[in-house]
Amino acid sequence: MPAAERPLATAEIVQRVRPFAPVLLLLAIVLGISIAEPGFARFNILSVILSDASLLFVLATGMTFVIMLGGIDLSVQAAASFSSMVVAELLPHLGYLAFPLTVLVGLVVGFGSGFVHVKLRISSFVATLATGGIMTGLSLLMEDGRSVSILDAGRAQSTWVTGAWLFNIPNIIVIAGLVAIGGMLLQRYTRFGRYSTAIGAGEPAARAAGISVDRYKMIAFALSGACAALGGVLLAARLASGSPDLANQLLLPTIAAVVVGGTAITGGIGSVGRTVVGALIVSMVRIGMTFVGVNIFAQQIVFGAALVLAVAITIDRGKIAIIK
Amino acid sequence: MLTVDQVSKSFGIVRALERVSISIRPHEIVGLIGENGAGKSTLMRILSGSMRPDSGTISIDGKPVVLRNTRHANENGIAMVFQEQSLLLNMPVADNIHLAQERPFMRLGLLRRQRMLDAARQHLAKVGLDIDPAIKAGELDFAARQMVELAKALALEERTDAPLTILLDEPTSVLESRDIAILFDRMRALTARASFLFVSHRLDEVLEISDRVYVMKDGAVVAERPARGSTVSELHAMMVGRELHAEYYREGRQVPPQPEPVLEARGLGVRGAFRDVDFTLRRGEVLGIAGVIGSGREELTRTLFGFLPQTDGTLRVDGREVVLRTPMQAVAAGIGYIPRERRVEGLVMDLSVAANVTLASLGIAMRHGIIDHARERAIARDWIQRLRIRTPSAAQICRNLSGGNQQKIVLARWMTARSHIMILDHPTRGLDVGAKEEVYDLVRALSADGVAIVLTSDTLEETIGLCHTILVMRDGAITGRFDAPAGAKPSQLQLLEHMV
Repeated sequence: MPAAERPLATAEIVQRVRPFAPVLLLLAIVLGISIAEPGFARFNILSVILSDASLLFVLATGMTFVIMLGGIDLSVQAAASFSSMVVAELLPHLGYLAFPLTVLVGLVVGFGSGFVHVKLRISSFVATLATGGIMTGLSLLMEDGRSVSILDAGRAQSTWVTGAWLFNIPNIIVIAGLVAIGGMLLQRYTRFGRYSTAIGAGEPAARAAGISVDRYKMIAFALSGACAALGGVLLAARLASGSPDLANQLLLPTIAAVVVGGTAITGGIGSVGRTVVGALIVSMVRIGMTFVGVNIFAQQIVFGAALVLAVAITIDRGKIAIIK
Repeated sequence: MLTVDQVSKSFGIVRALERVSISIRPHEIVGLIGENGAGKSTLMRILSGSMRPDSGTISIDGKPVVLRNTRHANENGIAMVFQEQSLLLNMPVADNIHLAQERPFMRLGLLRRQRMLDAARQHLAKVGLDIDPAIKAGELDFAARQMVELAKALALEERTDAPLTILLDEPTSVLESRDIAILFDRMRALTARASFLFVSHRLDEVLEISDRVYVMKDGAVVAERPARGSTVSELHAMMVGRELHAEYYREGRQVPPQPEPVLEARGLGVRGAFRDVDFTLRRGEVLGIAGVIGSGREELTRTLFGFLPQTDGTLRVDGREVVLRTPMQAVAAGIGYIPRERRVEGLVMDLSVAANVTLASLGIAMRHGIIDHARERAIARDWIQRLRIRTPSAAQICRNLSGGNQQKIVLARWMTARSHIMILDHPTRGLDVGAKEEVYDLVRALSADGVAIVLTSDTLEETIGLCHTILVMRDGAITGRFDAPAGAKPSQLQLLEHMV
């Protein structure tokens, strides 16, 4: 009966293609924009998009681990802004040491979020919303709500972010590349990577296998805090200032990058590699639209629609009984 | 009369039902048995309206009907009492009974609560449950909730003129014997109002309660028997296609335990659950814990793996005192746990076979702090071979494997972690007969290798068959101790005396 066989065949094709859906989507977007605007595929435009994607990706790497575990970190934009303030304040006093120190501060703050979530048994949604609020408050208190400029000496020390040392490729892209490689290795070859996947896919089973679930959750949040801080540092270096609202509007794109890439928001399924693709898609859509000349007010509509579309085709919802 | 005629159903290339015909007469209790995968659940789903057959007809009193969905099945007098109960625990009993059927109690868009409570009380009386219908379903124990489910099914009487048929899917699998007796009493009394289709793994129960029994195998009905005059071993033979032989529990391979104690409990207790538990588990010994729900045996099992921290007494592993506050500490002490909820606490279903095998001892698949994927696959392949795990590869996701094979992967994990004490918490629950026998083989093999085992089981028969020693618990304390060497096993009755 051909009528009965056809839907089955379609279903199977969908099943096969699904893992590659984000990559195909990315190619389609690039192709679409290139056709609409032939000048698009030029080196300096690509480097603008990649730089934008790099920042997003750095923030989203830590988020990927948290989401894989089944949690969420809503404090990333607050943490990134806070870090931009910290690094701008520290640079004149400490010089290069300010950069690693700021990332360390992010790590500690992220660990704090994880601690609140795990030990006080508060959902990560609420815990990170709260710690994010605290960080925003601290950033505002620092200079009475004002931003802090990075002066010439600091700018000179920031060329590791703003420069382009390798074949004219902006350093920020190279940094993101290193973070990507580090994240992938962490995920595939370490205890933390394996356990975070296991916990997201089946926490009770992971616990019963003797895994210290609490410890690995806190590590993931610490990692997310460190990534957010690194993102804040990159942002501060590029804009030559730290500000309490520097990373505003970055939380949703960060989550979108993870989810559009094909990591399940419910945890257990996904990877840092997918987030690379997700960050590229998000940046491509954001900047590509400006390039093609989509009305700036209409961009949010396209962005929202693209998000729904990407997630709908990426994850097999058939296995998820109830969507909350 | 409800008649199923020549019903077939396929999923892809798998034929789940092959021209199945059964009938349920008014006031009759019909048993339905078969191994896992025989097609019982598919048939139940079709009858309850949640699935449509590919071909064949269902008729009620001779009139063919197409059951479009659960609600439509209800309107035709067919109700299902689910194995995993369908009550909403945060809602009152009365609301549960009338869920999605509130219309008769509405006036001007408002619910007349008192009327609903009164109606619920009536339905509860039919099943002999004397509770306040205003309390939340979650406050009832499992057996009472099952009765509420039954009352909910009987509430259909108000809504349909069709004869009532109630489908019971494994209603006894988690009930204790006393509650089963009550359920059966009610069912017999209710045959005046309804007929029943009763599905169970426990053949003795099916024979006890049913008037007639259908036996399914590989998607087809292979036999129909009056319950009177049939025997368990006869039904079993038809179900699996072979005899239930005397060697079912591999008694011939039961070797005496070795003298070294590995796990010693002295005065072990958890406040509010159990107290003063003493035992010594030796190398290679299989220690069974028997008792009804509430006897403390489930809590004792969970305490031995660190899920439920002890509050009193001491526990020694290999002579050293340990305090198990988390499963992690239990694993570190060399204890492994095979859970009853395989899909929840056993395996991470979306991870590969290999990742599940090394989950409790990832270190042995690592080199210089880095996971060596080739080594990990080799370890998994070794276990796949030794335990004859049926999987296409070590990279296969566990979700797609059968229950028996999943259970073997859990076991492989603990053997990889070199656990020398194994807690088996209802290890054969939900497995078909063939898979159960493989578990029995493995228990004997582990025991012969010197692994010490603590076992709780759904049936006394299994406990007696497998164990060297049996502790019987009642009301949180040990009330009896039995040696059960091969060839001189205690009887179920002897144990039962100490249980109730």
